[in-house]
Amino acid sequence: MNLRSLLCIVAAGCMLEAQTLDPKKLLQPPVDSWPTYNGDYSGRRFSTLSKISSENVQTLTLAWIYRTSGATGDLGGIVKSTPLMVDGVLYFSIPDHVFAIDARSGHEIWHFSWTSKGGWHLGNRGVGMYGNWLYFETPDCHLVSLNSKDGSERWHKQICDLDQYYTASVAPVVIGNHVIVGVSGDDLDIPGYLESRDPETGELQWHWSSVPKPGEPGSETWPNVEAMAHGGGMTWVPSTFDPELRLLYLGTGNPQPVTAGKGRKGNNLFTESIVALHIDTGKLAWYFQPSPHDTHDWDAVETPILFDGEVDGRARKLLAQASRNGYFFVLDRTNGKNVITSEFVKTNWAKGVNANGQPIPNPAKEPQVDGALVTPNQGGAANWPPPSFSPATGLFYVNATRAFSEYYIFDDTEKPEGWSGNDRGGGGESMLQAIDYKTGKIRWSHKWEGTGVRSGVLTTAGNLLFTGDTSSNFIALDARTGDPLWHANLGAAVSNGPISYELDGAQYVIVGAGDALFGFVKRP
Amino acid sequence: MNKPHWSKLIRTAALVLPAAAVFAQSPVLPDAPGRDTVQRVCGACHPATVVLGRGRTREEWGQVVANMISRGAKGTPADFASVTDYLAKNITTGQSNGKTTSPRRVRRGFSMGPDDKQIVDTEAAERGRAVYMSDCGSCHGPLARGAKNGPDLVRSLVVLHDRYGSTLQPYLQGQHPSVEGKPIAKLTGDQIKDISHFLHQQVDNTLRSGPYTKVLNVMTGDAAAGAAYFSGAGGCGACHSATGDLAGIASRYDPPTLQQRLLFPRTAAPGSGGAVAAEKPVTVKVTPENGESLSGTLVHIDDFTIALRDAAGTYYSWNRTPGLKIERNDPYAAHDELLDKLTDKDVHDLVAYLETLK
Repeated sequence: MNLRSLLCIVAAGCMLEAQTLDPKKLLQPPVDSWPTYNGDYSGRRFSTLSKISSENVQTLTLAWIYRTSGATGDLGGIVKSTPLMVDGVLYFSIPDHVFAIDARSGHEIWHFSWTSKGGWHLGNRGVGMYGNWLYFETPDCHLVSLNSKDGSERWHKQICDLDQYYTASVAPVVIGNHVIVGVSGDDLDIPGYLESRDPETGELQWHWSSVPKPGEPGSETWPNVEAMAHGGGMTWVPSTFDPELRLLYLGTGNPQPVTAGKGRKGNNLFTESIVALHIDTGKLAWYFQPSPHDTHDWDAVETPILFDGEVDGRARKLLAQASRNGYFFVLDRTNGKNVITSEFVKTNWAKGVNANGQPIPNPAKEPQVDGALVTPNQGGAANWPPPSFSPATGLFYVNATRAFSEYYIFDDTEKPEGWSGNDRGGGGESMLQAIDYKTGKIRWSHKWEGTGVRSGVLTTAGNLLFTGDTSSNFIALDARTGDPLWHANLGAAVSNGPISYELDGAQYVIVGAGDALFGFVKRP
Repeated sequence: MNKPHWSKLIRTAALVLPAAAVFAQSPVLPDAPGRDTVQRVCGACHPATVVLGRGRTREEWGQVVANMISRGAKGTPADFASVTDYLAKNITTGQSNGKTTSPRRVRRGFSMGPDDKQIVDTEAAERGRAVYMSDCGSCHGPLARGAKNGPDLVRSLVVLHDRYGSTLQPYLQGQHPSVEGKPIAKLTGDQIKDISHFLHQQVDNTLRSGPYTKVLNVMTGDAAAGAAYFSGAGGCGACHSATGDLAGIASRYDPPTLQQRLLFPRTAAPGSGGAVAAEKPVTVKVTPENGESLSGTLVHIDDFTIALRDAAGTYYSWNRTPGLKIERNDPYAAHDELLDKLTDKDVHDLVAYLETLK
């Protein structure tokens, strides 16, 4: 970083260079920028912009299309990342590639390509930004820092071991001088972790492991040291953060071996947990586990959204998650205590909810050699596509699926490893759920015609909700009622979380579908 | 880390040969019938090229396609049949042993580790198995997953970082602790390389692409109870008959396939080689506000449009306006309703009963 941009970051308020992120933007609702994965640290994905509204959304028009395949030659690069928009430039990614395009016109400014040594090229969730530096993860386990001006590489650091079948896909989140990075992979049995890296050097600041060491809190939930050390808990969806409490909120992934639980009896902390970590040290402040001892691949990684609300007449600092296992949780984010637990789709795997608000797994619904009929299926009632919370309606919105499948154990040997089983099935139904956080009840539900929805949600102060359906439609609905107001067929299903920003007095809505990013605008 | 020589050579060759370099950068699906369907159906969620280098049998590809449908893959029954057929014919088992694949083709399978992962030579692995069983198995277990006296080698970093003996050889020839006070057996470099192939084979077997992807046994139910459920609480007799449409069904499908078909009749079923089960399409009758009704097979429906193909093969579509009346007949609706009623015992009993219909 040069002296001037350093001074600008230290002495907030001075005139910043072009293509540089003013850190103050990260602490405000996104208006003329979208500076971090969720727009701001809360994870709400709520835009305070209202130039596009339920009254005029019919006048929303296509401004531009950018096709990643034009730059990469690969039609398979699905845009799952949420773009950042800073100073008129959009930054987004697909595995091994980062793009900078003009937020007004969609014209490419630069494109960076990483030469891969392997890893799972399933998706990349985006980039993080600090000053004029960008950060992204590669499937072959590297954290790469680029110069936002021209996409030139500044440095790269290895953050995981490809030989253990780790891979990396999450969008780094920059908080103060911490670059928060996570890891993916559950083919062999490996522990998940979250790390904080120095934005200047990429060096490690702290490392938090999803599984405890012998004697540490949580170790009592594992049968032995080996099972614990290989217990999983990947960190593949970006965290949220409360600047006042200085706590970072993370959802962790499935325990491993994935479907065979017999070698890891116990609750398997801190897999499939919502954890609060102190941002400066990475130390655990509290945890809440949505799926104790899971055997269905129901990562509890879905965005833990932060908002302040009122419950039983009291103002509360809250956190809510619509979890892959079908349950909606509201917690007090100061201490992790459960406020609400409810089903946002009907499930069949739990015997009830315990006094702490956790579902109690029914052992009969663990995978069996002859099969167990379970809902949700492995795809989950929800998955990584980002949900949204609108303070204007007080509703939590999530694209949900209710599907059954038969869960089998394929490896009934003495010591199953890896997956050891899987589910088989199909069909089901998908719907957009609007959940009242005060009661956990569904306020309205908009059923899609097909199944398997995988689109993120954006809400706005214009009473709008933007998302995708199970076909290829990008749709604006009335956030209060769920009525569709506008749509366009993008030729591929909406594959990321939409964003919105204002430039030159015009409000834009940006969305990814297939290999392309689409810019829609309502011009003044 | 000492990497395999042949892999380096091929990489170097790729750098100096322009044609090879182009291929190495852009893996492409083999040009054959069905490729466009694979690109469209599979590519909607992930790069379709992930299939490259992960050859499977037709039955295994059927299982993969069934699994993808359960995860929300979109397509018509004909699309899924075409995808399975393409994969079974073009991404065959011969490609996964390394002898017919380039390093780049090995790259993007379902369990995606390093590009330079060791390609197991099955003959060497068999030789290695013999040495392993005689000198290592008693402590590390027959599947190398550890036993009382020796750690799990599938999870061992020495093994996972090894390529063709690169880390295993120095370890076994110097660092391995003594066993009961005696040094371990002296192994030659060739023997260690063979053991390396055996151990990497055990790692591969643990990956999702390994052999543990088969349903083992679903015949645990009570056929008499299944028959009672069939004609009683299940209400199956409303559409089916043991002497009619279901006569001989046990000869047509293996038990895991029967189980999937009764639960999820729309989707491709494991064991049937991906043959698509949904012979009966959803039909619709569409009546415009001031027009005549048209009936046919449902082609597409979303919140905004509906399309059908009539008996003559003609395609029609409409915008879904408030006055447009749609009547839908889903032949599998009763199966959907069963999902919320069936207990696991019912499922196993029904399969046992259907298996008696030889």
